[in-house]
Amino acid sequence: MSSSIAGLPAAPGIAVGPAWRFRPHGLASVAPISVRSAGEAEARIRAAAETAANQLTVLARRLSEMDRPGEAEILGAQAMMAVDPALIDEAVRLVRRGSEPVAAVLAAADASADLLAALDDALLAARAADVRDVAARVVRVLTGTHADLPDKPSIVVGEDVPPSLLAEMPAGLLLGMALSGSSPTAHAAILARSLGIPAVVAAEGLLEAIRGHAPIAMDGESGEVIVDPITADLQSLADRQAVRGVRDRAAAELRGRPATTSDGQRISLMANIRSPDDAARAIEAGAEGVGLFRTEYLFMRRKSPPSEDEQVAAYRRAMEAFGPDRPVVIRLADIGGDKTIPYLGRAEEPNPFLGVRAIRLARDCRELLLTQLRAIWRAAALTGVTPHVMAAMVATVGDVETLLSLRDEARAGVAEGAAGAAESAPIPERMVTGVMIEVPSAAMMAPEFARLVDFFSIGTNDLTQYVLAADRGNPSLARLQDALHPAVLRTIAAVIAGAKEAGIRVAACGELAGDPAGALVLVGLGVDELSVDSGSLDGVRAALAGFTGTELRALAAKALASRDAETARGYAKELIERRR
Amino acid sequence: MRSIEVGVRSDAGLHARPAAAFVRIASGFASHVLLENLSTGRPAVNARSIVGVLSAGVEKGHVVRITAEGKDEAQAVAALGELLDLQAEPVVD
Repeated sequence: MSSSIAGLPAAPGIAVGPAWRFRPHGLASVAPISVRSAGEAEARIRAAAETAANQLTVLARRLSEMDRPGEAEILGAQAMMAVDPALIDEAVRLVRRGSEPVAAVLAAADASADLLAALDDALLAARAADVRDVAARVVRVLTGTHADLPDKPSIVVGEDVPPSLLAEMPAGLLLGMALSGSSPTAHAAILARSLGIPAVVAAEGLLEAIRGHAPIAMDGESGEVIVDPITADLQSLADRQAVRGVRDRAAAELRGRPATTSDGQRISLMANIRSPDDAARAIEAGAEGVGLFRTEYLFMRRKSPPSEDEQVAAYRRAMEAFGPDRPVVIRLADIGGDKTIPYLGRAEEPNPFLGVRAIRLARDCRELLLTQLRAIWRAAALTGVTPHVMAAMVATVGDVETLLSLRDEARAGVAEGAAGAAESAPIPERMVTGVMIEVPSAAMMAPEFARLVDFFSIGTNDLTQYVLAADRGNPSLARLQDALHPAVLRTIAAVIAGAKEAGIRVAACGELAGDPAGALVLVGLGVDELSVDSGSLDGVRAALAGFTGTELRALAAKALASRDAETARGYAKELIERRR
Repeated sequence: MRSIEVGVRSDAGLHARPAAAFVRIASGFASHVLLENLSTGRPAVNARSIVGVLSAGVEKGHVVRITAEGKDEAQAVAALGELLDLQAEPVVD
């Protein structure tokens, strides 16, 4: 009889194979080692720690070469733990008092792990498992034993498994991972996703249900684990896999083609980037340009603002990567709110999200914005493209006019500088200029704004926070953060109406645009362009291709008329499910 | 001996990634460096110990004291102080 256990999906994919139980405390059976003196014990412990640190550094480097910087960092930190004085000095202290070396290392690790586990912080407490994992490695080196590994391709099961085990398990031996504990954001899950191994976590009762190397089947997309599956279970999983294969192939095939609804309505599908380094990934994922270049990142993690030349180089790299046919919309640094810049020396504000943020800096930090605009003009001149720019936190017609006059003043400054220069590229005649719509007042003034600018870009996250008066950083208000709330959708509908009257384009660049359900509603409302993180491009493109413009308009009408976010989201889900 | 007190501005405090950077920098100096979280009153820890630095539980807004003793104590204190004063990673829009 098969039994099915519901866990949380952690890495997509289906796996079927024998269970292989990982036992973290399999070390109890490790034999003590004999040494002639405390001095020899100390030397062997220090040497084993160095070796363990080197092994972990090699694993970290391998992951880094596989383009997995996040996972490499996890193992890099473990390498640091292997030679941590808190661990090694304590072990040495214990052997000097007569302890056996293996016991000393394990006792020292327990002391360090307990220290971390006692902290009132789930993230740090999770590092306790890392310390124990590192100590187990030091002990393996010390005793000349090897990590316990499955002898045939298996699904690793356990309460949790250390990331280093997954990283060093030979490819092919690891079919999947099913854990009774852990979480989708823990190291093991992150690593499984990046290695492409199906994973389910938090499957309570899993370990009790498995006997020995019992066969299991698991679905990392639904979170289901079946112990002792029968033929019908396997058939159902195979069917699911086939359906998803078709879906994923279809999504990948659509890459490189313009995004459209099934009846041919074009939607510009753009990428959000925060540095020119993100351009390659966006282009590979089929971005038709950049709808949001978050330039504030150029200003962070440093002691003074980036120079004009430094900014020219950054904007030029992004413009060159996308070329003349794929626009790059540069957003003037959105500083303030949750992104403060210490070197600007601004006073702390009691309500930074309602404070001097983005375009509101024009009064006190005018030169900062002018420098950025000059850099954009110069980069466009050098690249030979038409520059696109937008500003955030625009609330009044006066804010729009400030943006336009800064833009023109910056061009005049560049022209003046170029007049004296021996060789200079022609400065473009115009800069396509837009404003972000995130503030309710901007939505209400949309008709007036639309007569002054070339496009709108709706920042759905901030718009939601401001429309519902709910701090988006406050976890106890999380249920007020769904941008599909009809109040937000009605605000967006008003913005679109104002834009259409003046004949300008409307983009959306918040997280709602990258969520297939949200993208369908936005296009149904009349948004012309969606700008999303590169990883969401395939999913949004495929979702749009599944429906006609008429279907999406009907969906948007229902969502607009709904009473709350859950109902609106339900309509979108229903439509998507029906199509499957 | 050199010592400074710094208000931590980084949103992440001294959690995983910033803690590793802190230890790496501290390990690059010859001086013996201690980190003490004045906001929690926990005892000072060895700045070269990742476990120690993590267990100091340093969060944004805490005030910490960095003390160094050795031939490059001034540089060590300056470099570590600067790291804690740097800008935080912002959240998405």
